Amino acid sequence: MTIFNLPDLGEGLAEAEIVRWHVNVGDRIAVDQPMLAVETAKAVVEVPAPFSGVVKALHGQPGDVIATGAPLIEFEGMLPTARPGGTAAASTAQAIAPTAPRTANSHGTSAPSRASAADAGTVVGNVPTSEEELIETAYAGRHAAGTPAAHGRHGANSANQPGATNLNAVNGAAPHSANGRLRAAPAARALAKKLSIDLTRLAGTGRGGVIVVDDVIAHANIARSPSEQTPAFTGGEKLRGLRRAMAQSMALARDNVTNCSIYDDADLHHWREGQDFTTRLLRAIAAGCQAEPALNAWFDGATQSRRLLPHVHIGMAVDTSEGLIVPVIRNVDSRSPTELRQEIDRLKHAARDRTVTPDDLRHVSIMLSNFGMIAGRYATPVVVPPTVAILGSGRLSRDVIAVEDRIEAHLRMPLSLTFDHRCVTGGEAARFLAAVLRDLEKDT
Amino acid sequence: MAKVTMIEAINRAHAWEMAHDSTVVVLGEDVGLNGGVFRATAGLQEQFGKDRVQDTPLAEGMIAGMAIGMATQGLRPVAEIQFMGFIYPALDQIGNHMARMRNRTRGRLTCPLVLRMPHGGGIHAPEHHSESLEALLAHHAGLRVVCPSSPARAYGLLLAAIRDPDPVIFLEPARLYRLVKQEINDDGQALPLDVCYRLREGSDVTLVTWGAMVTETLRAADKLESEGVSCEVLDLATLSPIDHDTILESVVKTGRLVVVHEAPRNCGIGAEIAATVAERALYDLHAPIKRVTGYDTIIPLSRLEHDYIPNTARITDAVRATLAE
Amino acid sequence: MKTVAEFEIKYCQFLDAEGNLSAGAPALAADTGELLKMYRFMTLVRTFDAKAINLQRTGKLGTYASCLGHEAAHVGVAAAMQPDDVLAPVYREFGSQIWRGVKMSSILLYWGGDERGSDFTAARQDFAWCVPIASQMLHGAGVAMAMKIKGEKRCSVTYIGDGGTSEGAFYEGINVAGARALPAVFVIVNNRWAISVPIESQTATKTLAQKAIAAGIPGIQVDGNDVIAVRHTVAEALARARDGGGPTLIEALTYRLSDHTTADDASRYRDPDEVKEAWTKEPLLRLRSYLTRLRVWDNASEEALKAECAREVEAAVDEYLSAPKPSTDEMFDHLFARPPQSLLQQRELARHYAGNHNTEAGNRDTTEVGH
Repeated sequence: MTIFNLPDLGEGLAEAEIVRWHVNVGDRIAVDQPMLAVETAKAVVEVPAPFSGVVKALHGQPGDVIATGAPLIEFEGMLPTARPGGTAAASTAQAIAPTAPRTANSHGTSAPSRASAADAGTVVGNVPTSEEELIETAYAGRHAAGTPAAHGRHGANSANQPGATNLNAVNGAAPHSANGRLRAAPAARALAKKLSIDLTRLAGTGRGGVIVVDDVIAHANIARSPSEQTPAFTGGEKLRGLRRAMAQSMALARDNVTNCSIYDDADLHHWREGQDFTTRLLRAIAAGCQAEPALNAWFDGATQSRRLLPHVHIGMAVDTSEGLIVPVIRNVDSRSPTELRQEIDRLKHAARDRTVTPDDLRHVSIMLSNFGMIAGRYATPVVVPPTVAILGSGRLSRDVIAVEDRIEAHLRMPLSLTFDHRCVTGGEAARFLAAVLRDLEKDT
Repeated sequence: MAKVTMIEAINRAHAWEMAHDSTVVVLGEDVGLNGGVFRATAGLQEQFGKDRVQDTPLAEGMIAGMAIGMATQGLRPVAEIQFMGFIYPALDQIGNHMARMRNRTRGRLTCPLVLRMPHGGGIHAPEHHSESLEALLAHHAGLRVVCPSSPARAYGLLLAAIRDPDPVIFLEPARLYRLVKQEINDDGQALPLDVCYRLREGSDVTLVTWGAMVTETLRAADKLESEGVSCEVLDLATLSPIDHDTILESVVKTGRLVVVHEAPRNCGIGAEIAATVAERALYDLHAPIKRVTGYDTIIPLSRLEHDYIPNTARITDAVRATLAE
Repeated sequence: MKTVAEFEIKYCQFLDAEGNLSAGAPALAADTGELLKMYRFMTLVRTFDAKAINLQRTGKLGTYASCLGHEAAHVGVAAAMQPDDVLAPVYREFGSQIWRGVKMSSILLYWGGDERGSDFTAARQDFAWCVPIASQMLHGAGVAMAMKIKGEKRCSVTYIGDGGTSEGAFYEGINVAGARALPAVFVIVNNRWAISVPIESQTATKTLAQKAIAAGIPGIQVDGNDVIAVRHTVAEALARARDGGGPTLIEALTYRLSDHTTADDASRYRDPDEVKEAWTKEPLLRLRSYLTRLRVWDNASEEALKAECAREVEAAVDEYLSAPKPSTDEMFDHLFARPPQSLLQQRELARHYAGNHNTEAGNRDTTEVGH
């Protein structure tokens, strides 16, 4: 059997009252034949048969109110209610999908409504209706000035109150972030996110204390555009890439860090065969950090704040044809010598092949400059913020030294430690160096 | 107190004001005997007579122009354009006269009038009956453009519009006309123009919208709340001039903005809101501003109408994308 | 003072309400072949119209503007036109359109909310239905201007309603047509009602035809329910226009027997006696009487015609209901010859959300275009 539901009669009402049937159960009726009269308002509408068939059942008697979409009449057999592929049938009746009204906590669709006393008039289209009640509280204007037009009643404001509602102030600055929200330029936010920098650690140097890109760069020691300066000569090659980065970061370091250096020599006389110099150095630095955590830290001069770092990530200066690069060997304090060697090799190859990733350059906690592989004994290596210490290891040499009363020749490694005296004391630095020496001088 | 639909609220606002101010007159096509094709002016001609509630001949330019003339003579016309899509013949009068009368006479002649019309689509109407042209009108200095989204705001804002000494274009979202009922006090109290209405307080994102899209936007906010996202929803209400201060205050708080409007995207009012927020609150933004709008096409006939009008899914997707930044 | 101009408006009727032919009727009144053809089309249109209303009442069509009672005013005009003339209708003249080859299924598609209905398969230069009142008057004038410039022996025929004659564009159209002697015919279908506004309230003039005087063109009133008078008058106007004689304004008097649209309720503002009286003057009745008197029509023919019309309409309805739903691409593909890039991006977005009405799309990557 086929059920025909009360169609949307195009007057925007959700139901209609049966006035009179023109057909009976058992009647064979033809398409378009008037089936029944329903009342939607003061007007009575004739509903024609949607197709031909035999009436099986009538779903309502005169006086009954039927909801739009509810069963109205039943026909025998299966009858075409819609053509295949054709959705014209669905178009008007169903597709109106009246948006669910916004009651305080309702997600429901509209409920059938009483036919209203006046016709729900419209001359075109279908105006969706429901019986749902809107309960809302609306506040006019800004928080400070806003008064509730509460509970659906219009509020106490008189018409056209110009008052606190400022119209189109042309040059006003944005309201102050009273709730402590961070104000940062979008580019600064994006860069900080990319470098995993916590914006709350930065002070802004933009207007009104806004954090700008330069602030992020200063914090992360990343290349940025050089400021305009008067050239000392013409016809030079403009620095790019790593060289430019170095020029910038060294200038930054000079401007901010209070460098102080201590020098000593590590006596490697007792080393066993086959020691890996670099991994021994790395381990020794880790030992130094453990003894004196103050040198494994970040310092921010602008905010005068220091952060002791839980792990030792040593930035190892690597010389490439393009310039200086400082890949980071992570977690030196917890890796085995083999792992360290593997990581050193990986990074050295990557540096040579220019495949170092930004991740490889991040989170340096302390630096190592192994210039002694080439030449030089002592140096004044430069601390690069936000780190606070850098150890330079010089050329190994067989030195003549006095051991008690004898003269001996021992293999020694010169060490130059520079530290940022703004936040590291001489004692801390010395104790660090002592621990480095102790570890380095072990036989293995 | 009475529970009324938006159309009934509009009707009551007319009745209240006409009863208390004899200078208020109504004119338009089919507004008198028929009470308007949506029954917005039902019963008014019976109550106030044929001089004060006039069925005009069929000419939109004439309706707008006559309203101007009447207004300069101390009447307060409330004129109806039967559908916003039919406003074009009236644009000459609106742009060249209504918006400028005060300015070009330095205040000697003014136009205290309301031009009201159904706005937007979603009622399966024939061609030209579903337009959202508010940007066109907002671009005219000297015009106010107002769009209520609830029966209470329709009542209060219409009263404010009628009492305003300057012309107001009053856009009534057709698919909200009978959608819900709301309790109002029929006591002649107007609501302020030129301010946004905060319908929902939140902290994660600011949603600015108006007209019939308020419904979808609030539903989207409900859905998002169940996902732990706290949305602040502002009903712009007065589309021109825009209450930027309230929007800015909200954006500074939330850091994210999504503007929702049914009208087409290109040069829509959403663009104006976005530009102002970018000018004055860029550093407070945590993500780019998003606009969820009608496409830059003609609004299609009923078969595709609901593929055009922004739905809840598009709004929630936009908010989630904003939060993912 | 002397009189510098005087005008008169003539009224033309050949077949009265009872089907009696007056003296001086044109040869068409004896051309039973043409008369039967027109009667068949008028019956077809009425059958179609009733079915369209039923489709609306059963939820299968959107709001629809019935043409009940206008059959002669519509068929008679089209019957006088040549196929390569151009028609600019309002939104009710289905009789004219069907005569000129527009498919009934196209008409249903349009009122069913599908723009493809306006992509006529025949009469492809005819304008589509015009909703903004009176704007079509200028289109008719423009078409006629082009025809004149190109030296073609073609005409434009433009319809307008009684309400439409109050619009500025009405006068602009007849004025320029007159000033430039354009090959245009303008037909006012005065069915006495503009939704709820009666003609007496629309204008102070006694006739609408006399508005032609303001444009300096001939104006004539005709009984719009007399298809012979309608066709004859339009044919004469077209002949004059084709010959370079300029435009004519014709006012066809009839009555809107139905509501303005299926969502209107005319009983709110019309006297039922007036409607009843109008039914006695309706166009099919008198023509059938006349044809019967001429012994070229009888009950059997009537039944057969009705059955045939029902079949034709049914086939059109089938075609309409079987039309597949348009894809969202249709919103974008017909705006420009070459769509701009930004529009193509929006087209993608619409595809993504296609068919997704007020339901959740779920947490997707796609974001609003333009970001």
